[in-house]
Amino acid sequence: MKLLRFLQDYIGFIVRGGPTFYLWLAFLSVLIGGWIYGYYQQLTLGMTVTGLTDQVSWGLYLANFIFLVGVAAGAVTVVFPAYVYKHEGLHDVAVIGEMIAIFAVTICTLFVFLHVGRPDRIWHMLPYIGVMNWPSSVLTSDVVVLTTYLFLNAITGFYFLYQKYYNRPINKRFFMPIIYLSIVWAISIHTVTAFLMATFDTRAMWHTGMMPIRFIITAFAAGPAFIVIVLLQLKRHTALVVQDSAINFLMQLVTWCLGIALFLTLSEVVIELYQGSGESYGLRYLMFGMYGLTDLVPWFWASMGLTAGAFLMLLFPSIRLNQEVIPYICTMAFVGIWIEKGMGLVIPGEIPSPIGEFSQYVPSTIEIMNSVGIWAFGFFLLTLLLKGAAGILSGEVRHASRHEAY
Amino acid sequence: MPIEKDPDASQPRARPQRVSDATQTPQLSATVSRRHFVIGAGGIAASSLLGAASLLVNSDDEKAKIEWAEHFQTHYRLMTDVEKAEAIERLERRYSKQYGKDVVVSDSPAQEGVLFGYALNIQKCIGCRRCVKACVEENNQSRGKDQETEWIRVIKMEKGEFEPEKMHQGYPEDYGIQVGGNAYSAAGVVLEGEHHYQPDVVPEDDSLYMPVACMQCEKPPCVKVCPVRATYREPDGVVVIDYNWCIGCRMCISACPYWARPFNWGEPKLPKKAMNPNTHYLGNRPRMKGVVEKCTFCIQRTREGRYPACVEVCPVGARKFGNLLDPQSEIRQILDRKQVFRLKAEMNTYPKFFYFID
Amino acid sequence: MHHGMRLTKMAGTKRRILTLLACCMGLIWSSSAIAEDTAAPEPCFESRKGASESVPILLENGMPSIKCSPKTGGVLWWGDPFFNTEPLGSLPMFEGQVSGEGVMRSRTEKLTLFTVCGVACHNGFYPPVPKSKNPRALTMHLDIVPDALNLQHGNQAIWCLDCHSAKQRRFLEDNFGNPIGFNEPQKLCGKCHGSVYRDWRDGIHGKRIGEWASDGKKRWFVCTECHNPHDVQQGTRHSGFAQIEPEWAPKLSKGVDNFDYELKNADGTWKEKYLPKEDE
Repeated sequence: MKLLRFLQDYIGFIVRGGPTFYLWLAFLSVLIGGWIYGYYQQLTLGMTVTGLTDQVSWGLYLANFIFLVGVAAGAVTVVFPAYVYKHEGLHDVAVIGEMIAIFAVTICTLFVFLHVGRPDRIWHMLPYIGVMNWPSSVLTSDVVVLTTYLFLNAITGFYFLYQKYYNRPINKRFFMPIIYLSIVWAISIHTVTAFLMATFDTRAMWHTGMMPIRFIITAFAAGPAFIVIVLLQLKRHTALVVQDSAINFLMQLVTWCLGIALFLTLSEVVIELYQGSGESYGLRYLMFGMYGLTDLVPWFWASMGLTAGAFLMLLFPSIRLNQEVIPYICTMAFVGIWIEKGMGLVIPGEIPSPIGEFSQYVPSTIEIMNSVGIWAFGFFLLTLLLKGAAGILSGEVRHASRHEAY
Repeated sequence: MPIEKDPDASQPRARPQRVSDATQTPQLSATVSRRHFVIGAGGIAASSLLGAASLLVNSDDEKAKIEWAEHFQTHYRLMTDVEKAEAIERLERRYSKQYGKDVVVSDSPAQEGVLFGYALNIQKCIGCRRCVKACVEENNQSRGKDQETEWIRVIKMEKGEFEPEKMHQGYPEDYGIQVGGNAYSAAGVVLEGEHHYQPDVVPEDDSLYMPVACMQCEKPPCVKVCPVRATYREPDGVVVIDYNWCIGCRMCISACPYWARPFNWGEPKLPKKAMNPNTHYLGNRPRMKGVVEKCTFCIQRTREGRYPACVEVCPVGARKFGNLLDPQSEIRQILDRKQVFRLKAEMNTYPKFFYFID
Repeated sequence: MHHGMRLTKMAGTKRRILTLLACCMGLIWSSSAIAEDTAAPEPCFESRKGASESVPILLENGMPSIKCSPKTGGVLWWGDPFFNTEPLGSLPMFEGQVSGEGVMRSRTEKLTLFTVCGVACHNGFYPPVPKSKNPRALTMHLDIVPDALNLQHGNQAIWCLDCHSAKQRRFLEDNFGNPIGFNEPQKLCGKCHGSVYRDWRDGIHGKRIGEWASDGKKRWFVCTECHNPHDVQQGTRHSGFAQIEPEWAPKLSKGVDNFDYELKNADGTWKEKYLPKEDE
């Protein structure tokens, strides 16, 4: 009964809003419609509607998946300081981080559904009714850790909101172990995703021990960058109070991690290219093009420009602390890292093929439509999640308010 | 193993419903029945729109019904004998109708004391690609402009040359810190090989050819990464795929060092007339869209005693095949007497496909 | 045929001219016979183009005997590997070596392709048996050996009559002058190519189709089904095989429009041999 009342108020709140709110949701719905159409095409005609080939069999979908795992893991940059360092500003908005994690894990799962050729057989992966190749298959492990992470965040996030709604204290003996677990788990999801690719010793570009730390570092740049954008939007559009200390902490983290990420990239470039063996072909293809195939070259340099540019600008406190400017810089970092994960990692890892065939990959219109549509669905979900969370955190939605209204 | 044609080989084999094997442990049966229960209860929700769509879209009721039933069948290795017989009977009915001929789907198991091995005389290969096309004829691959699936890839490599004129050019140009003495042109560089060579005649004077297909590894990376164990090694050493269990995640494609696993991006295009009706469940039966496929050493032929199609077609006799456990076999004679190497031995996959020279 | 019978009773140059005429007529007759039968499927070649032709037919089991490549006319697939074969002659094996049943496709049919040849020329007394094995220019069979004084086999160390029986033109000849049938050329080739012969006998050289088991039934391909004994050099040596047309290349990957990248250097410039020709 109590739960029902919570849900009534919560849902009642998140579906109400001004014209901008509805316009935004309508806009997203149009994009989601594109995804539904595209996915129908893909289901009926097969993966042939994508630009994927036997040479490049992992493309835009999996790139988005890998990037979004990073965003999900990035949520820990709010939760960890909030509960371990007792950072006051972040503690107030820790739930926002959890909501972002829910958003990211949900849509990265959807990208997996787009990626596989037989989504109707996904149940084959489940234990008991299917055959779960665990622990052999890293993909199985990845599915396990991601699903668990989704549940951990949903539990902590909504438990916190629920208690807050009834204005009751958190049961720490229940809550804190899950929080600590979710912190470790956040690292594990991106680590396992890095293992997923790095354990292919057939793909020289992926097969490096640097992969997990590079994944974590870029996640801790892209994740907080995204959270900062979200927090600043919430600060502007909702009643949620976001302390400057929270923003400043996250921006500092973004700066450090961008710096380390650039350092790791540079190290890789030197190590791979120094002798220039066949193993460096993926990176050479990415950076300069090879055999006259140069599709990825602009992407690499754009990614480098965006991340390096964002890093250099953030080194100046006057810029890093300027809340008018940082959304743009955060977007630069976010997009730069998105490119780096997709066009900069997934694709060149598959070119050349293990027997030395070069090729190119261009995502098809339907592939792009589906990806955009899933992102739109994610933003739709995120908008509602954030609205609800901000409403409860700011006290707009609470148990008492209902009775006062009557 | 007689190759004499069974008098009713062209008729679908009658499959009496066998009672579950006596050796079947009760435990496994319990698992199976639980699986059935769970699938029956929750599986309908889990199974996708696809099944429903096929029900709605296909006016052909029987085909739809068969495909619907296929959605719920379990992993080939977990099937009881009865389930196996049912699954195969279903497939035979569907394929026979679809291709207008009596299609046989064999489930013949690996023979005792047989471990298949393959050897290719790289000195003999002339790069004519007839193995590639014979494989397509035999194994019911998709053909045509939209989706052309081939299990064998022939790579042409330059024999290369050293020329005095190039003394100061160097190769590769962009990494030469030496000055002079680099009179080198690519010689036998796999990464610079050509896949789409199309001269008027082969072999070309300046070329050598290396066909590559599934190596049937002893330690196959593809099997390790498969999240659902749809691909696995059979006792006779052949790595196979249960096409009805594959989820199409393409982990195996990324894991394979030999680029031996093509994917069915769209619905495979297999002309009725060209369809080979002698099939095997784990081999050349027609595939569906969204699953991976690969060379099985022509499991439908080799388990009946016959050479793989590529061995038979090779006009220069470069391809050799046999039982690695038989010291008299052609493959063992080659391993004993010839100079043999395995491709990418450093991957520690232990291929059972050997390259040799006279 | 009948006119051939009469020809044998004539003599001198007149007979020679008439013989040629008859040969020509025979050829014309047989080629027109082929032309008439256009409905019949084209013959395809099994291993050596021009020397291992086979015509696809429908077998009793409903399978085609062979399937052929539409591009090159090469046989791609055998419905029955033992169709139209006969037992292989006995072969010396190692002690304890297992050998299954061996069959082969007869190669003597061609010898009787044009009846007139056997009757008019290779009839045992005409043309006269050469007095020596020494190379000399040929007047016939220039299609097979264009320049007999420069035979492309054996580096000038052998000549026609080292292999072909001088007296019995439908046979080859061993070291002792005994005839070897055209169906067992291995007995002849093995005289020189001993190690290759041993490999072939053991199944690790040459082509076999049928059953893979070491004691299985196999169709063996004999030497001349793959190699052209009159020209093993084929210009520069290609492992002893004639050059043939390759099957079509694999489809291009979706992301590329052409395979120029295979003809370029790593830095994107054209490989020297593929440099685009400058317009003159």
